[in-house]
Amino acid sequence: MEQRSNTFLENASEALKNTEQAKRRDSMARLTPLLRSAAIEDVGDFESLRQQMKQVRQHSLDNLDHYLTQFEQEAVHNGNRVHFARDAEELNSIVLDICQQHDARRVVKGKSMVTEETGLNSFLQRAGLDVMETDLGEYIIQQAVETPSHIVTPALHKSAEEVRELFKDKHDLGPRELEDTTDMVAEARQVLREHFLKAEVGIIGANALIAENGYSMLVTNEGNGDLCANLPKTLIVCTTIDRLLPRAEDATAMLRLLARSATGQSQTAYTSFYSGPSRDGDVDGPQETHIVLLDNARSEMLTGDYREMLECIRCGACLNHCPIFTSVGGHAYGWVYPGPMGSVLTPLLTSLEQSNALPNACTSCGRCAEVCPADIPLPDLLRDLRHEETREKLSPSRWRLGLKLHAWVSQQPWLYRALTATIIPLLHLMGRRRGSFTRLPFASGWTSERNFPAPQGKTFMQLYKAGMKKPNE
Amino acid sequence: MSESARSEIFAKLRTASRGGSAEAIDRERQSLQSAPAPMPPATEVCEAFLINVLKNRGSIDCAAGRGETVKAVAQYLYQYFRSHRLVAGNDPRLAAMPWRDAGVLPRFGGIEAGEPVALSFAQLAVAETGAIVTYTGKANPAANNLLPQHHIVLVDRTDLVATQEQAWTRINQDMEKRGRPRGINFIAGPSSTADIEGQLVYGAHGPRSWHVILLGDTPADILARAHSAVT
Repeated sequence: MEQRSNTFLENASEALKNTEQAKRRDSMARLTPLLRSAAIEDVGDFESLRQQMKQVRQHSLDNLDHYLTQFEQEAVHNGNRVHFARDAEELNSIVLDICQQHDARRVVKGKSMVTEETGLNSFLQRAGLDVMETDLGEYIIQQAVETPSHIVTPALHKSAEEVRELFKDKHDLGPRELEDTTDMVAEARQVLREHFLKAEVGIIGANALIAENGYSMLVTNEGNGDLCANLPKTLIVCTTIDRLLPRAEDATAMLRLLARSATGQSQTAYTSFYSGPSRDGDVDGPQETHIVLLDNARSEMLTGDYREMLECIRCGACLNHCPIFTSVGGHAYGWVYPGPMGSVLTPLLTSLEQSNALPNACTSCGRCAEVCPADIPLPDLLRDLRHEETREKLSPSRWRLGLKLHAWVSQQPWLYRALTATIIPLLHLMGRRRGSFTRLPFASGWTSERNFPAPQGKTFMQLYKAGMKKPNE
Repeated sequence: MSESARSEIFAKLRTASRGGSAEAIDRERQSLQSAPAPMPPATEVCEAFLINVLKNRGSIDCAAGRGETVKAVAQYLYQYFRSHRLVAGNDPRLAAMPWRDAGVLPRFGGIEAGEPVALSFAQLAVAETGAIVTYTGKANPAANNLLPQHHIVLVDRTDLVATQEQAWTRINQDMEKRGRPRGINFIAGPSSTADIEGQLVYGAHGPRSWHVILLGDTPADILARAHSAVT
């Protein structure tokens, strides 16, 4: 997928012009936090649950070589072939090789952000394979030749009307009208059922890998991932090297938080654990199973300053609660992962040069950190990335000069006090009548959108010196 | 597989890891704190399970003995399909049911195209999440969970556990005895999607309806209690 993260501001302005999409994002932003908080209240002790998960994830990452070795041994023992891929290209060629070894023509895929990251679909399609996404949201955007705008609900940006038109265009509907959403879901179900039954290869992601027994965990509501895992003769699980959990029981903390944080459910309809190829006497299941473990900068993240980002469980709660994401939508971020988690991940998985606009797409409101089930301090990580951006001189020179000037003035108390003691009373006098300004020199970026409140007369230091701790008394 | 990719990745991971012994790592893992399961919606485990099945948009029924079980299945089939046919895995517990008494004609095996109803006998069920658990295999082919329009699941009251941790204790015991199944499936509701404008629709790819019948001794008014807790 071509990256356009550095035109974030332009992408965002463009997105804001689409008022229909903005309305749908608004209703999502109103509804999903309510669903989440109702579900989280139901847990009782959210804080101790997320601390438990954090401990488990930290412990797994602290000992990742140990658990990955154990997982590999168990997975091989279960009959899998385990592959390692350093980067996107390696993962894509491993998967293509497997497909070609079986002379496969048709591939069905469950939702996998990792394969979005590597651009697997277009790679396989260029080699002549028929690749079908089967998660309804992913199917819709694949048919529309678009990219996901949300990591959990990839077709968030599409209206029901657009989906209806898309199906009319792409499917042989005859006289059928697809009046409501139920009809559209039934239509996709029917079309995709054929693909499930005919595909030679199924590709799925994994929400976790269990070290003690070599199982991979898959969480879905539609059941499409399970159909991919059970019907085709060959199964390929594509995931990353950091997804390890020591034991199956350790998945419970994650499961208690994942669906609640994502959709407000206590558990998704399907939570499955797959160990390998079908056994003697099995009626169905794949004959051959592969697990492809991708690094793609995760091992660098493990040793670096942003290690906590590896604890992310991809629930999407930070997206749903972010004032920037809910205003401009996922496409503005210009790559695979949007929102607060994406603004941290994208610079780490690609480069800060290619994406330094993203860490600035933050109001530091802190809601993402508050709701994060993995307790990742997202605003801190974004601030650290902005520090790096400044240090590496990636931000516009005017910004850097302004910041430098501000920093210098702030470090000269006499000058700071003299300046504020002159400017504040002046602004107070000028804005006394209306209480605010509609225009101010050097602040048009602020006043073009909203009024600037007029200062109340004295500076903090003046009040402090006068011994007034509470200015209203 | 490129051996160099594997060794390069492991070399990087080793520099990042603590490098403790397997025993030390295991000790540390044992010492990690645990967190309580969410409060159940009812103190009685059967009732909590049935309430959570309803919350997951399943439908519920109870049956005391085998006779009542086949009758409950027959009623469901007749209500929705005016039929007496269904498909079920080769589970000895299902084979031993007096199907003929209720006029039900099960076919034992994997589901085939066009068969609308499948029946499974759960290995266990979890009250905390209202989920049933099946293992893939001859007794319950995976496709039987996924391809029918309606999925009926029998749960023996004695196979019901309160929490997910207890579920894993049971599953681990089963694996010690019988080996690792290819797939362990927790199912908590009919297949669903909200991918079009956030509207929840059932029957995305898997079953549109999910019906759970709890077998064994349960309080007489348990169905009514469960329904009143959800409405």
